[in-house]
Amino acid sequence: MCEKKKQQHSCVLERKRNTLNDQPFRRLKDYPVGVKITDIITETHDTKTFILDKPIDAKPGQFVMVWIPRIDEKPFTITKSGKHLAITVKKKGKATSAMHSMKKGDILGIRGPYGNGTFDLEKKKKIILAGGGYGTLGLALLLEEATKKNIKVDAIIGADTQKNIIFTDRFKKLGARVTITTDDGTEGKKGFATEALEEKLNARKYDAIYTCGPEIMMRYVLKLGMKYGVEVQASLERWMKCGFGICGGCALDPSGLRVCKDGPVFKTDILKDIEGFGATTRDKSGAKVQWKDMN
Amino acid sequence: MTIKTSFLNMNLKNPLVLSAGILGVSASTMIRAYNCGAAAVTTKSISITPRQGHKNPTVIAYEKGLMNAVGLSNPGIGAFTEEIKKIRQKNIPLILNTIGKTPQEMAQVAKKGEQAGAGIIELNPSCPNVTHEKPYASDPKLLKELITTVKKRIKIPVIVKLSPNVENIKEIAKSAEQAGADGITAINTVGPGMLIDIAAKKPVLDFKTGGISGPAIRPIAVRCVYDIYETVKIPIIGTGGITSANDAIEMMMAGATLAGIGSAIYYHDISIFKKIAEDMEKWLKQNNYKSVEELIGAAHV
Repeated sequence: MCEKKKQQHSCVLERKRNTLNDQPFRRLKDYPVGVKITDIITETHDTKTFILDKPIDAKPGQFVMVWIPRIDEKPFTITKSGKHLAITVKKKGKATSAMHSMKKGDILGIRGPYGNGTFDLEKKKKIILAGGGYGTLGLALLLEEATKKNIKVDAIIGADTQKNIIFTDRFKKLGARVTITTDDGTEGKKGFATEALEEKLNARKYDAIYTCGPEIMMRYVLKLGMKYGVEVQASLERWMKCGFGICGGCALDPSGLRVCKDGPVFKTDILKDIEGFGATTRDKSGAKVQWKDMN
Repeated sequence: MTIKTSFLNMNLKNPLVLSAGILGVSASTMIRAYNCGAAAVTTKSISITPRQGHKNPTVIAYEKGLMNAVGLSNPGIGAFTEEIKKIRQKNIPLILNTIGKTPQEMAQVAKKGEQAGAGIIELNPSCPNVTHEKPYASDPKLLKELITTVKKRIKIPVIVKLSPNVENIKEIAKSAEQAGADGITAINTVGPGMLIDIAAKKPVLDFKTGGISGPAIRPIAVRCVYDIYETVKIPIIGTGGITSANDAIEMMMAGATLAGIGSAIYYHDISIFKKIAEDMEKWLKQNNYKSVEELIGAAHV
């Protein structure tokens, strides 16, 4: 019963949204358009930022689909909006390795920005960010926006080890009070980002927690948010094909909400009801699998 | 005035059905489509074993429609049985779209689908994005073999999805009916087509070519449904580029009993089902219809 109500609710939400940008066609094209890489910045031993010859007006949490011609197409969070779109990419598989061997002037295909569920800063005065591993990348635009709005930001940047800590300088420059944690203690506090988060929640009152990282970590962040009565906004990741809500590959159970179109950011009210949150996802075929069996 | 209708063994709240290939990977999205106004839902094409499909880019939208080469990715009927059961628990009319290398394989998927609770089996011999071992969709003899093989194995109705990419769709439809098909879905995607990015100098889809759907193909779909209606007596699901009540009414006037909705979700999102159903109801009232069923084949009189 409760579940049915929620689904109807998601339908109503959608209809409201539709009246804003309705009729006759929402967008004229959604296929990758090749743009030049104008600059490449090395961020860490395995991560580079690609600056692209494409202006973009993106909201925090939105992503683009990036086509690496002949290789693959994958979703990436936007790490810089404005005159030049930027994406930050960890070298991981075939597609990202191909990107890492690219040079200035090479072509990447871009479509987007995508995502209607974005980070929401309305009425927030004091917030805390919790980034785990490369999930920290997904919080960069949010921090910029929060700074513009004079919102006080504490940020926890966590990673397994020192060399994988990312965006510390950028976060500090933007005015966030940064706490670093590493699992092995090679930099900052030894332990998980969630442990540092609980300390902060004990000490201060925040209007919301914003998180991006491994889903198992975000599940714990959600738990903490509920324990301390603070709203959680989490940016999720799923296998994506279309990026615009029709292939169904990234849908959450049991709501049928799509990470690409209804998300990728969801708040506590949705997060708490996701079946298998932090434990299961779906692979390319659509089969349900354990997160630990992905990659 | 009523927009309630029926299709084979299904009593439906309206004539709108979610077409195969859109959203239908998991129960959750199909249940959502039903809650957003679809009267019945069709699953993605399901095979006997899991399929990973093609590499991205697999789905894109161009100025007049969509083009896809998903490559029939699906978790296989084994894992998918759980999704079918979840949909059946909610009493949502379910059409299971099936694929297979051979008629026997498709019959196996259909059988398992029937056991799990699917209401109707839709055979998909006509996807342009994979190389079928034999041209089931364009060879009347092969199509007959396929339909009779599946019909023998199951009790629930079997419908077959036809491709517009054939010389004479009337002939194909006739042989489907003769072989015992209970209904026809028309049309599958058109093409295949191709788009090239001029900066990268490469075809955009990784599979290079893809099937075209959306508004661009609506006139082709209407023509095919019109032709099929003239040729056979079995009911038709008309699908291809329907994005409004007018389009759905047009498709029914061409001869469709149900209107399949797919790409419209790209243009107007899932709530499009409710919108089309409401607009159809209004139109029918204004034009003094008593039942939506009066529309079926109205353009032939």
